[in-house]
Amino acid sequence: MPDRSLPAEHWTDRLQRFDRRWLFLLMGLAIVVPLIFPIGLPIKPTPMTKAAFNAVEELHAGDVVLISLDLDPASTPELEPYYRSVVLQLKRKGVKIVVVSTWYQSPPLMERWIREAIDAPLAPPGTEGYSGAPDRAYKKNVDYVYLGFREGKEATILRMGNDLRGTFDGHANDGTPLDQIPMMNGVKQLKDFKLLVLVSAGFPGAKEYVQNVQARYDLHMVASCTAVSTTDLTPYFQTGQLEGLVGGLAAAAEYETLVGMRGTATAGADVLNVGHLVVIFAIVFGNVIYLIGRRNARKRGAA
Amino acid sequence: MTALPFIDVVGAWIGIFLTFCILSFLYKDNPFYKFAEHLFVGVSIGYVVTLQYQDTIEPSLISNLNLAHWWKIIPLILVAMMLIKAVSRRYSWLGRFPLAFAVALYAGIAINAAAQSELGAQIKFASHSLDAEKADLNHADMAELGKIPGVNPLIAKKLVDERARTPFTSVDDAVTRPSLTPAEQADLAEKRGELVGIDAKAAVAAHDKDWFGIASNILLLAGLLASLLYFYFSLAHKGVVGRVSRFGVWILMIGFGASFGFTVQGRIALAIGRALDIQGQTIAPEDAAVIHGPLVALISGLAVVAGIVVWELRERRKAAAGTGAGGADQTQ
Repeated sequence: MPDRSLPAEHWTDRLQRFDRRWLFLLMGLAIVVPLIFPIGLPIKPTPMTKAAFNAVEELHAGDVVLISLDLDPASTPELEPYYRSVVLQLKRKGVKIVVVSTWYQSPPLMERWIREAIDAPLAPPGTEGYSGAPDRAYKKNVDYVYLGFREGKEATILRMGNDLRGTFDGHANDGTPLDQIPMMNGVKQLKDFKLLVLVSAGFPGAKEYVQNVQARYDLHMVASCTAVSTTDLTPYFQTGQLEGLVGGLAAAAEYETLVGMRGTATAGADVLNVGHLVVIFAIVFGNVIYLIGRRNARKRGAA
Repeated sequence: MTALPFIDVVGAWIGIFLTFCILSFLYKDNPFYKFAEHLFVGVSIGYVVTLQYQDTIEPSLISNLNLAHWWKIIPLILVAMMLIKAVSRRYSWLGRFPLAFAVALYAGIAINAAAQSELGAQIKFASHSLDAEKADLNHADMAELGKIPGVNPLIAKKLVDERARTPFTSVDDAVTRPSLTPAEQADLAEKRGELVGIDAKAAVAAHDKDWFGIASNILLLAGLLASLLYFYFSLAHKGVVGRVSRFGVWILMIGFGASFGFTVQGRIALAIGRALDIQGQTIAPEDAAVIHGPLVALISGLAVVAGIVVWELRERRKAAAGTGAGGADQTQ
């Protein structure tokens, strides 16, 4: 028999004990369903992403840029789409590339990325859904140089600033002396690069490059970072220390739109939108239930 | 194209299975999650130790040890001093020297970096004039034109060429010049609101005020000062100071809200990454056809669910047996 001396439980009390695992299930559906049935919501590039694109677009054939891949496997969903897009943009312009890393987790990943995106063409003639200029396979130590990883975090970045060759013992990662690689003629320190493209998952990364070498050598830099780091790096874009910033998967989708090659970020953009709707719904739902419950509790208290 | 080695196919299958093991934590802590968690920690540590040895210790230390470069043994001595605590408490103080060296080195780097990029550039930006002007399409350089919504370097160059022939009479005149391709005109038309609207960033006359920019600068300054005031504790936060400080809290909350939003985005992106991996969208279609990601995901999901059901039933049985035994004890 129910105890009639106790007041009846209000519906908001029941809802406040709502099993959160239903929300996990809802989020799971929000991720899986749009992937299977894409909605195709429009993607509009923001000024930060556009500025990053424009900075690369201003390069000319034969210019040498440095790509620093400071990341680990956990950040690939957010950073790989940007990496592929920017490499395509650089290759179709005929820009030479030097690849380094300050993260010990990077090398195995970098080697695969180089094999797939630099050694092989990303958008050969006739690529479906791509209307831009085609790219070609780059040749190692001719069109690009892979310097590899060096331990030392900020100290490595600082040393690259004034002595790139010394930092890597004067050799590319495959042992070829840098003096024997024509594209490295005149490239002795970071300021000899036309642009630094920082693909950064955290520490050390874009922030440490800006702090340690950008102002000192007046370097031109664009960065891509995980969504979590975007608010940390945005002030550097506002001050002009970063010429462009691509923050997270949403911005990577914008970059893919600008480059004209749909990739995994574009595929994930719908999911991101639906996922955010679920989060917004959960926040609003939780707060409305809480506020109604509080008002009801006050009423009961007054009675 | 070479076929995907079988070991890589098995690796992809294990990856999919472990994804479901980790996701099973959303139900509750369970043996599948524990297995994946411990495997991850073990593999990560093994990987880090091996990689650090191969990439750093071996080439930079071991290979460099010889009589000709005897001084290169100093880092090894410093490392040994750091580890001495593990074998002798009496000489543990020796470990402070290498630690002090490392802390001093990185503190020096950090102070210099903060002074240059955080204080210098950030203060310079925050103390710029509150005044803001629209970009003058008839006189701005290419870099400035490139910052206008809808304008890329190619369009900027065309605008510079066009104005050299005939100066622009209006923004609409500029964005409809014949040298712009239909696609470029469409891009600019899409941004028309930002070009000629209330927050217009472009004009055809010099020193045209960007009132939206001015309001934005004032808001930035007010927000900065109010947020700083919130952390100033030498004044009681009452009256006007209290209200300004309250405004500072709102500004901070908006900042934290933006950070939270980006964090949510990052976490959803991780889930998207795994889902795309399982779907086979991150690899070549030929490889995806060999791996059969969705099928393996279905089997893995069912295996994990079945395993959790069995585990849950056993746990309940154990709990019931425990309660029964406890009850029997109490009866005695």
